[in-house]
Amino acid sequence: MRAVEHVFEIILRLYPKEFRRQYGDEMRAFVHARLGEPRYATPWGAFAFVWHVFVDGVGGAVREHLFARTPAARVSGAPSHEAPIPHNEPPEELMATLVSDARYAVRTLRRRPAFTIVSAITLALGIGATSAIFGVIDSMLFRPLRYPAPEQIVVVSMTRGGSLREAPAYPDFVDWREQSRSFQSLGVSRSQSLNLTGRETPERLSGNFVSASLLTLLGAEPLAGRLFAHDETEVGTASPVAVISEGLWRRRFGADPAIVGSSIVLNAQPFTVIGIVPSTFAFFSGTEVYLPITYYPNNAGLTRKDHSMFVVGRLRPGVTLAAADAEMRTIGARLAEQFPTENAGSGAHVESLHTLLVGDVRAPLYIVMGAVTLLLCIACANVANLQLSHAVARRREMSVRSALGAGRWRLARQLLTESVILSALGGLLGVAVAYGGVALLIKILPIDLTFFSPIRVDGRVMAFAALVSIVTGIVFGLVPALHASRTNLKDALSTRTGGLAARVGRVELRGVFVVAQLALSIVLLVGAGLLTRTLVKLQQVDLGFDTSNLLTLEFRLPATKYTQPEQISNFFTRAIGEIRSVPGVRNAALVRAVPLSGNSDARAYAVAGAPEPEKGQAPVLQLNTVSPGYFQTIGLALVTGRDVTDHDDAHAPPVVVVNETFARREWPSVSAIGQRIRFVDSDRWLTVVGVARDAKHFGPADQPTPQAYIPYMQMPQIFTSVVVRANRDAIALGPLVREAIWRVDRDQPVWKIRTMDSLVANTLGSKRVLLALVGVFASVALLLAGVGIFGVMSFAVTQRTHEVGVRMALGASGGEVLRLIVGQGLRLTIVALLLGLASAAGAMRLMASQLFGVTPSDPVTFATVPIVLSAVAALACYLPARRASRLDPLTALRRE
Amino acid sequence: MRPREPRPADFLPLTPAVLHILLALADGEQHGYAIAQAVEALTDGTVRMGPGTLYGSIGRMVAGGLIEESTRSRGRGGDDERRRFYRMTALGRRVLESETERLARVVSLARAKNVLRRPEPA
Repeated sequence: MRAVEHVFEIILRLYPKEFRRQYGDEMRAFVHARLGEPRYATPWGAFAFVWHVFVDGVGGAVREHLFARTPAARVSGAPSHEAPIPHNEPPEELMATLVSDARYAVRTLRRRPAFTIVSAITLALGIGATSAIFGVIDSMLFRPLRYPAPEQIVVVSMTRGGSLREAPAYPDFVDWREQSRSFQSLGVSRSQSLNLTGRETPERLSGNFVSASLLTLLGAEPLAGRLFAHDETEVGTASPVAVISEGLWRRRFGADPAIVGSSIVLNAQPFTVIGIVPSTFAFFSGTEVYLPITYYPNNAGLTRKDHSMFVVGRLRPGVTLAAADAEMRTIGARLAEQFPTENAGSGAHVESLHTLLVGDVRAPLYIVMGAVTLLLCIACANVANLQLSHAVARRREMSVRSALGAGRWRLARQLLTESVILSALGGLLGVAVAYGGVALLIKILPIDLTFFSPIRVDGRVMAFAALVSIVTGIVFGLVPALHASRTNLKDALSTRTGGLAARVGRVELRGVFVVAQLALSIVLLVGAGLLTRTLVKLQQVDLGFDTSNLLTLEFRLPATKYTQPEQISNFFTRAIGEIRSVPGVRNAALVRAVPLSGNSDARAYAVAGAPEPEKGQAPVLQLNTVSPGYFQTIGLALVTGRDVTDHDDAHAPPVVVVNETFARREWPSVSAIGQRIRFVDSDRWLTVVGVARDAKHFGPADQPTPQAYIPYMQMPQIFTSVVVRANRDAIALGPLVREAIWRVDRDQPVWKIRTMDSLVANTLGSKRVLLALVGVFASVALLLAGVGIFGVMSFAVTQRTHEVGVRMALGASGGEVLRLIVGQGLRLTIVALLLGLASAAGAMRLMASQLFGVTPSDPVTFATVPIVLSAVAALACYLPARRASRLDPLTALRRE
Repeated sequence: MRPREPRPADFLPLTPAVLHILLALADGEQHGYAIAQAVEALTDGTVRMGPGTLYGSIGRMVAGGLIEESTRSRGRGGDDERRRFYRMTALGRRVLESETERLARVVSLARAKNVLRRPEPA
């Protein structure tokens, strides 16, 4: 269905229900058939067709409503062909007047196609962009999540210290489930990728380890087969069964229904596929396989040490969030006492899933909505200005109608009708813009949208667009309408273009609109400026290592195949050897969690010689496991001491490399080398052998944190990443490095082959999107404001032609005239600057949470924006002023 | 009170759309899109009707008894199911005649007053 047909669907809704029932289908078929005609195939033809359908359809709809009850003269063309000019119409004629107003308005607009098209497109952009953003906000903030009875779905997190959202361990989940009464059920989820092998190519799949309750409480229904039974996901009774997604079923298994009941090899272990969940069910985007939580592969197993679970619950009917939270706090406190080693200082906290999901995006979404609303206001001001300039041309028409007895309100209403019809047209085109906008936003928003109602242009968005259209029509139409209708007989019959006072008044009114436009543009420009500065500051942050020509990839060894630590370190040693032998590779090393990849590990630690920390109060460090050569490979400098070496193996004394922040915090006055630390859940002491520079681990905005690196041979792990320093063009090495790993063991899916530069770009992703949106709105605003001031100055010049002629005849030079006109424009600009900067200073405080490295009142931005705006305004004033300065005085004087 | 039979004069003057639809149906029954195409062809493209005008007029004409839906219309030989056919009623034909006569009177009046230029000789 083409966009025109969507527009036509909206128009159809304007018709009386009975009429629609009778003729709706035929009218659709009519439009469809028309669309097939070659003359409407060009863009211009399509536009003409939309226009035609709009005028015809809306007019028709009004007519059907109006004449539905007066059957007599319905085919007669007699009534109201010309706009009547009644003085005070009785109520029953009001509707008829409205129709004639509308008809007259449509005719007037058709006579001015340039004005109509420019205005409609301006409004369409504003209304469409606003509606698209509204669609996103509506889906994410206002609508329930896409699960059944979503208001009951909550997340239970662990609290520790000041943090409310720590991940609990599996035993915590079990205790919570047994002891709580607030929930119909509690479910647990741990997402982690899986290796699919046993088929042609090994592949890494997006996996989710869950309890049976998770899928049922979220309302999943199998597309085929069944979901997990309770016992299948419990410790002790678990069985190797898997539920796969519809997407994986279609992509990898060719939609073969026989997959249910057959066996697939995941993490080197066979699992029986018992069911398929439809793609309409999603919990974390892209989950392809659900496995019982008991098969979650990690070192610590499902112990109290592994804090990585995500617990979701469904409240019992009638239980409030607050009541559930209170109960869980009690349970959390009890568990803290019961397990002083692992749970000391922790608690439990309940919040709604929706709150958790939208927490971080609420502010950026409102900022974008604010920006687009400003843009809409600017668009309105622009169209209002166009209306005002047209009012001049129509002054005579207004005067004559007034002379013939039309009241002021009647005239104003006529103009207002035009505005509303114009904005309705803008709204219809805006819906098309909204379709494009929503499609674009879904693509660029760095948000997991699978939890939310699908974002699309639906009835609510259309209703919003309609409301905005009507309101904008009234907003930009009212002032010009009232102004233009302020007419009198003397004016009408004495001069053609109105008295001097009226002209000056109109220039001033237009000036007000221009000032408003410029001031609003400043707010947007300042916002875009601050975000640009934020992005630049983020990019300038020293990450601590060299990101250029650095390739990273991830892989995991199947735990069942590599059961002994020696096997694991043996594989890694051979793999590194193979990778280093690839031509173009300068260096390579292993690391548990590549910086900026999002992976990380945190441990509470204690320092030898320092007082033992209180339970639950121990400081926490970021832990990474590395192979020899890691620091050299990523270019992270060692400040003192040595790198880990091949001799730091399982038989050697445990060693650790710490970062500068760690060393400074724990040993401010003595050398860190030779000092000892341990993790609080272990009694093995590690000796510090080196101090490295700080490295940003999550992103440029990280605060300095204690970090520690231990040799992988002293803590072998099946999951790891490779970093490769290339001589040049790192990404081209990807396939070669993967082949090198496969030379050691063919059954290794290798994934996330990415350059470090792309990881850096990813961490800036959401800021980039925010900047892109606000930046585009600000640019359009600047353009519209420039056009606005250009328009008003051109108009002023035209109006002052006579005056300029007199001045020049009396000896004023071209330069003086230029200064006069430009000066007038700049006065407007200065007023706008003052207003705009003041508003921006207030508005930007709302943006503080999105900024980095700049204050909301950043002097650089606040100094630059006025310069940019003044330059645009000066150019927009200069062009008409130059025209005035080149006037021939005689011609000018003869003009009126 | 029983409503009286409608007289052709009650419908005059016709709107341009109604007049052209009646003219298009003078040759026989048509469906909506074909009517619009016929009108466009008959008037060399000067009268172009959109769906609102066309079906609005059709609706009123059906209600006024000038045209009716053809009973043999649905699902005829490969035509789209959605297409309904319309044909002129006896009343419609009389209305068309009356309107044409009225227009002819207007034209001759215009001629008499020398308002109308005679067609250029070919």
